[in-house]
Amino acid sequence: MATIPHYPHSEHRLDNGLRVIVSEDHLAPVVAVNVWYDVGSRHETPGHTGFAHLFEHLMFQGSANVGRGEHFSVVNAAGGTLNGTTWCDRTNYFETLPSHHLGTGLWLEADRMGGLLDALDQPNLDNQREVVKNEKRQTRDNQPYGSWLEHLHELSYPVGHPYHHTTIGSMADLDAASLEDAREFYATWYAPDNAVLSIVGDVETSAALGLVEQYFGGIAAKGGFPIPPSTAIEPRLGGEVRLTVTDRVPVPRVFMGYRTAPFGTPEFDAMQVAATVLGGGRGSRLYKALVLDRQLLQPSDAVLDGWPFIGGASLTTADLPAREGVDIDEVVAAYDEEVARLADGVSAAEVERAAALISSQWLHHLSSVEGRADTFSQYATLLGDPGQLNDALPNWLAVTADDIVAVAGEVLSADNRVAVTFLPDVADEQEVAA
Amino acid sequence: MTLISERPVIGTPRPWSFPSFERRTVAGGRVIACHLPGRPLAVTALVLDAGASSEPLGGAGVAELVARALSEGTANRDAYAFAVAGERLGATWRASTDWDSLRCGFEVPVGDISGATALLAEAVDEAAFADDTLSRIRDERIDEIGLEMSQPSARAGEAMSAEVFADVSRYHRSDAGDVASLTAITDADIRAFRAARLTRSAATLVLVGDLSAVDVEALGHAVFEGWAQGSGEPAAPDVSLRRSGRRVVVVDRPGSVQSMLLVGHDGPPRKVEDYVAMTTMSLVLGGMFSSRLNLKLREEKGYAYGAFGGFDTRRHGGLFLTRAAVQSDVTIPALADLVAEIERMHAGGVEPAELEQARAYRAGVFPINFAGVMAVASGLGDLVINDFADDHFDALRARVLDVGKDELDASAASHLRPDDLVTVVVGDASGFASELESAGLGPVTIVPDEQ
Repeated sequence: MATIPHYPHSEHRLDNGLRVIVSEDHLAPVVAVNVWYDVGSRHETPGHTGFAHLFEHLMFQGSANVGRGEHFSVVNAAGGTLNGTTWCDRTNYFETLPSHHLGTGLWLEADRMGGLLDALDQPNLDNQREVVKNEKRQTRDNQPYGSWLEHLHELSYPVGHPYHHTTIGSMADLDAASLEDAREFYATWYAPDNAVLSIVGDVETSAALGLVEQYFGGIAAKGGFPIPPSTAIEPRLGGEVRLTVTDRVPVPRVFMGYRTAPFGTPEFDAMQVAATVLGGGRGSRLYKALVLDRQLLQPSDAVLDGWPFIGGASLTTADLPAREGVDIDEVVAAYDEEVARLADGVSAAEVERAAALISSQWLHHLSSVEGRADTFSQYATLLGDPGQLNDALPNWLAVTADDIVAVAGEVLSADNRVAVTFLPDVADEQEVAA
Repeated sequence: MTLISERPVIGTPRPWSFPSFERRTVAGGRVIACHLPGRPLAVTALVLDAGASSEPLGGAGVAELVARALSEGTANRDAYAFAVAGERLGATWRASTDWDSLRCGFEVPVGDISGATALLAEAVDEAAFADDTLSRIRDERIDEIGLEMSQPSARAGEAMSAEVFADVSRYHRSDAGDVASLTAITDADIRAFRAARLTRSAATLVLVGDLSAVDVEALGHAVFEGWAQGSGEPAAPDVSLRRSGRRVVVVDRPGSVQSMLLVGHDGPPRKVEDYVAMTTMSLVLGGMFSSRLNLKLREEKGYAYGAFGGFDTRRHGGLFLTRAAVQSDVTIPALADLVAEIERMHAGGVEPAELEQARAYRAGVFPINFAGVMAVASGLGDLVINDFADDHFDALRARVLDVGKDELDASAASHLRPDDLVTVVVGDASGFASELESAGLGPVTIVPDEQ
């Protein structure tokens, strides 16, 4: 098993409130620049679902000193890669560059942090609205089982809760988004004092900080950020919620969601270890029983997954695609048996296996400068302390067999779950056959 | 508020070259060891000349089954015990096939590389290939194909291969096989492919990571000692084409809200003379965010989340492909744009500024692409399978920086063939079938989707 690494970093704050994390790593001549804004789909107001993500697209359309489309072409011409993503709790933007191009990445990020409105116009909004609608079609609406995530969110969190809707939002709300909405969203949330900037790679800390001050120092703080909608929620669902969806899908498949304590809590950490014992890797209990021994479930290296949310409740999910010709109820019954069997105890060997897997997955995740930069930003934004990155693995390794039994009993209970069952549309199949 | 309008002055790049590595022969087997100091994880993996293109014509998918069977139980332990043994080391098993290779091995904390290598040796040498195991993994694979083919992009890729290559070519079917081919594969076929292709002469052990405390010689012995030598390279596959000329295949999926578009034709093999010019040209056409296809279909028209394209170069042939998933009601204009961009590149080549950007991107991104142990191991695998020289990646990078506009334009003229474009659409035919007939893309065949 791996030794526990320590990733050094230093933390700084500009006068305008921008939090900056620098972590030197000179193994390769590359650097990651990563910005997290503390705004995501949970900050959206009614009628504006999907807006945080649509706005993320607008951030690539040019700013005060960067022309339309130039953000991509400048990074590419530097030999770099880039992207941005939106999630319930945040929006992030990132570039990986040859390290001598650190200034290029910082200049681009500063220009859109402070000067987006100069470039924001109706044609850009209209164009990216269509792009996002096609993103929704491509990744959800035109994919088999593509609505599973939307169903889990809607059924796990009540109407009006900030996690009730997904990040991609609804077509109607996307259609309704206006230029004024975009200006207001930017004016409200996009500010140095609502952001974290992480720089990881082949840089010298004081020189990097000098560049940060040069490019970001002139951007004014905004302050007065609205208090986001409350995420308070009952920690458990209090009853099983079931939904059956009949659709054009090849085999029956169940997606489950269980309310779990938020990211950064001992319960969430313990649940990740429990999920690995039960359904992570081919040496897990579910793989042995449902894939190898009983041949009910299609092979998967991760039957269970943890979705870290910072407010209210996170989700632990399970994905159970049936083998061809297998009754989905039989799959669920076998799954339930394995979950129930956790109450009888977990062996030391099982805990060791889970700990070893989690350790190497964590090392893999942090092995790239971009992975490490994003994780520093995550811990700084969500937990207020980037240094907690170095506590994560010890926290997982401290989880005991008894902790696993306890958390599984609490969380993986039928009256704490949403179960969305997809069934093939038989009428549709007959029609095709005819 | 003050923003800095002047663009940053860029310093000097730190010199970079592909990590150095050593080759040696241990116990009759080839070993490549690449020492990357400071990395906590390492890779121990075999790269075998045993890809899909070396399968017998009726055995499409057998290589993938062999790759999967390796971790499904050995003389010493069953599939579950094998998985647990690796996972208790924190070792992640990966086994996969592509057209030209079968690769299997572990990413593992470097302190346990010996234990992981012993398991790798056990998998390739002593995997049991029991009857019930083989029938299970074949059935699992058939089910998995059902899931894959329900996705429009995978279904479109299958239809493209079937339309481009003649049915006497292995390239006619997907590299991992299809339901028909897998159903016909017997246990004896699986064992026969293993016996023929999983041999010492077809294998190279690739070790990447902080090897300062690793006995490379011992790991080589663990893998290659006593392994059958085997002989010979697999025969090259037939690469006959189905026909020439433009034509269209529609896979009809009533109710689809998008049309998955693939437009392309057959392409040259990896060792084509003008590989660098050809692939730099295709970067301009469809290989970067700022490429022509994406700027046209996404950033100008808003038809798609993204539009991309390029060459899939294999050892014995390949494909040129462009792709976009577009909302159904713009199927015809989106196809027209894709084809127009291919025609424009074919006829007019690239602009100097486009060449400059593609060259800078492609050369500049090497250090990022090869920063991790997995990526370096993958690169070394490519080097082995294509029999490239040790300085291949550095020479490639230098060549990229040197390639000129005339060369790209010549590649566009010769490797893009607008008259032979095959168009595949997976979508709801009722919305566009009648217009498609008169779109100038050739005769249209509509097939019902078989799910």
